[in-house]
Amino acid sequence: MILRRKKVVIISYILIIAVLTGCFNAKELDELGISLAMGIDHEDGKILITAEVVDPAFSSEASNTGEGSSVRYVQGIGNTILEALKDITLKFDRGIYSAHNKVLIFGEEIAKQGLVSHMDELIRDREQRESSYMLIAKGAKAYEVMGINSGIETIPANYILGLIKNVESNPKTVDFSIMDYLKHYYHEGHHPVAGVIEKIQKNEINETGEKSGTKGYELTVIGSALFKKDKLIGYLNGNDTKALNYLLDNVKGGIITFPATSVLEEVQSQESEQILNSVNVIKVKTKNDVELEGDKVILKSKVYVRAALGELLENTDISKEGNLKRIEDDCSKTVELNIKAAVQKVQKEFGIDIFGFGIVFHRKYPKQWKKIKDYWDEIFADAEYQIEVNTHIIRTGLINRPLEK
Amino acid sequence: MISKRIKDNKRRLVELFNHSTDFVTYEFESESNIKMMVCYIEGLIDRNILDRDILRSLTLNVKNLKEIRKYIMTPKIEEIDTINEVVDEVVYGKVVLFAEGLKKGFVIELSKWDKRQVEEPQAESVVRGPKEGFIEDIAVNKVLLRKKLRNNNLVFEDLRLGKQSKTAISLAYVKGIVNLEVLEEVKKRLDKINIDAILESGYIEELIEDSPKSLLPTITNTQKPDIVAAKILEGRVAIFVDGTPHVLIVPRVFVEALMSSEDYYLRPYFSSFLRIVRVIALFITVYAPGIFVALMLYHQEMIPTVLLVSAADAREGVPLPLTVEVLLMIITLEFTKESSLRLPKNIGSTVNIVGALVLGQAAVQAGLVSTLTVILVSLTALAEFIVPQLTQAIIMYRLFATIMGGFFGIYGVICAFFVITLEVISLESFSIPFAWPLAPRNTSGLKDTFIRVHLRKYITRPKALAKQNVKRQIPPKGE
Repeated sequence: MILRRKKVVIISYILIIAVLTGCFNAKELDELGISLAMGIDHEDGKILITAEVVDPAFSSEASNTGEGSSVRYVQGIGNTILEALKDITLKFDRGIYSAHNKVLIFGEEIAKQGLVSHMDELIRDREQRESSYMLIAKGAKAYEVMGINSGIETIPANYILGLIKNVESNPKTVDFSIMDYLKHYYHEGHHPVAGVIEKIQKNEINETGEKSGTKGYELTVIGSALFKKDKLIGYLNGNDTKALNYLLDNVKGGIITFPATSVLEEVQSQESEQILNSVNVIKVKTKNDVELEGDKVILKSKVYVRAALGELLENTDISKEGNLKRIEDDCSKTVELNIKAAVQKVQKEFGIDIFGFGIVFHRKYPKQWKKIKDYWDEIFADAEYQIEVNTHIIRTGLINRPLEK
Repeated sequence: MISKRIKDNKRRLVELFNHSTDFVTYEFESESNIKMMVCYIEGLIDRNILDRDILRSLTLNVKNLKEIRKYIMTPKIEEIDTINEVVDEVVYGKVVLFAEGLKKGFVIELSKWDKRQVEEPQAESVVRGPKEGFIEDIAVNKVLLRKKLRNNNLVFEDLRLGKQSKTAISLAYVKGIVNLEVLEEVKKRLDKINIDAILESGYIEELIEDSPKSLLPTITNTQKPDIVAAKILEGRVAIFVDGTPHVLIVPRVFVEALMSSEDYYLRPYFSSFLRIVRVIALFITVYAPGIFVALMLYHQEMIPTVLLVSAADAREGVPLPLTVEVLLMIITLEFTKESSLRLPKNIGSTVNIVGALVLGQAAVQAGLVSTLTVILVSLTALAEFIVPQLTQAIIMYRLFATIMGGFFGIYGVICAFFVITLEVISLESFSIPFAWPLAPRNTSGLKDTFIRVHLRKYITRPKALAKQNVKRQIPPKGE
């Protein structure tokens, strides 16, 4: 009898547990406003958050007529990010669900004032993803770039995401996430870099079925934004960003275009036109090094490029071994010059180490590092830079000789 | 005791049968005036043979009592002394012959009744392999098995169970291979059965299984002689029950549910692939709705964005909470299955059409359920039929996992997974661990679990089962 009562008690406990705890944090899909991109701005001393929320009915239906929009933009304003997020709930019928954020766009103004103080919520909140990409709206507010979509994707956030992901075929931009940003932020001797997004006017093309007004603009992510600690101090252009990617060993593809030196000498007198060859980059391996000679710091990089011949405009037969070797050398030289120029520009214009030489120094000379770490940026700005590039062309394409003129 | 006088015997038998109309007695006299009587049950015997080879022969030839036996022209004759024995034999379709002046009866085996043709069992049809299946008649079933193993070591042991039904039961095993402990245990458990009637082998299954409270069956049943032959050659014991085509085989291990007789008839690579498909199907059919509900309610961040958006679109305007919706669809699926099973064949197509409407497009268009749920439930239904032997357990486990997923998210699904796995591991079937050869692990057993290796590699019988004559084949030398 007692045993039986015990059984009944236990079973009722189990049932009660199921009822009491059940679903307390369950969220039905039709209660969620799935945000795919978020813009964070400074406006009148307050934080303005713009969220791009998908309207599922519009974005997934195959029968989408093209009328209406697949996303809604909602804004909230507050003293902190959390306050601004909560402000949205007063104007929008669904809770913002930010676990699917693809990109976080910061306005230029807020980036200049310093970002890290606003980032706590983005890291602490379990919904936020630190793997979402971080972009700085160049010369604009975040919400000014958010509505633009000139891609195939119906959702603007996916369009932006596609642009960032294309870094694989063109390293003139960077694909750094919030996590990367913070990682670099906390590294001593390495200043963070973030991606850039910019609105540019499109050339007018007479399309037959013209639709919306925003088609006049498109977005570009060329370049990168430099931070001194957490404050935006400037931008790098596309080519310098490419060099940055080479030095950060972050190149997954792209091309290298370089002038053909030998031919240049011969034809220099007749034609002023430069003859350019190109290679498709297959793999890049970079090793940075720092050398301490007395008081002088020498920064060194060793870059190994494995490539496939992409475009050959000079009249040469690459089936002869020497010619290919020369083309490889030409390529190396160009990479060398570009990287050197970029490093020197950063040294002169910004004076901050965004390449992570400080980390290399720290590892190599831990004792000296302690003494100099507070002045590392000045040391970096004055340091001598040496680079060595090796190119190896492993594929030459389908033809040996270029097309005859 | 059987009386010398026919009249007495007749009177007592008719009384014992309570004047039942199908009990027939027939008195006759030979030409030499010897009085005799046969009794039998109408419809259970072959009347032609009775007339031609027995009544006629006896009438013409019998001159004295000693000659009677000589003139019964059938091979199987027994002599009995008591009236109760007469009853036992008659109900099994035998004819009992009495003669005036003899204190015994002759039991003549003449049983013959209408039975179903041997045909392919619908539940276990195969593309490659024998198509014959057991029928309701135990004698035919024994013949079917004997035809697979024409061997003097194949032993049938008969017994009768059920106070009212007196059902014929027959144990079949291969002497010299069978696991003797299992055989002893089976006999012991069968002995303990004391029940009114055994109407189907399911009765026996329930009465002798190790864990009656478990959802999982620890006794195999099959309708195919080739499967029985293969299993008893691994040291198992088969239990034939009269009146049902389902033959029981003990002991059983869990992974048998993933096997099909066809696996051994097809090429090994493809069989292995099929086995892996079945494992996946088993997992999907049990856990897919639970994981789906858990992800959609608690872990939306784990769903790819595109899928999440289209799922959200599908959910738009559906009135029920997701858990309820999925449970409802699972139940509806059971409705459809059950009703199409029970309905007469000629209106079965109605159920198909109506069921397809309820489970399909119409329900989605009406906004009652979301498309993803329909897809999911159909998927689980498809996967369920891939592992037909576990259907009963699968349905309960699926409901359990779904409810756990709906209440506790992935945490709940994992709890359900542990509970289910623990149950599988903790079971035993006739002292063989149910999860063998996975837990306890056995390398040679694994050769025939998730993959089916080449037949040449099956040198030994399953080690947990076979204790004697363990070698199954001697592989050719030099290989």
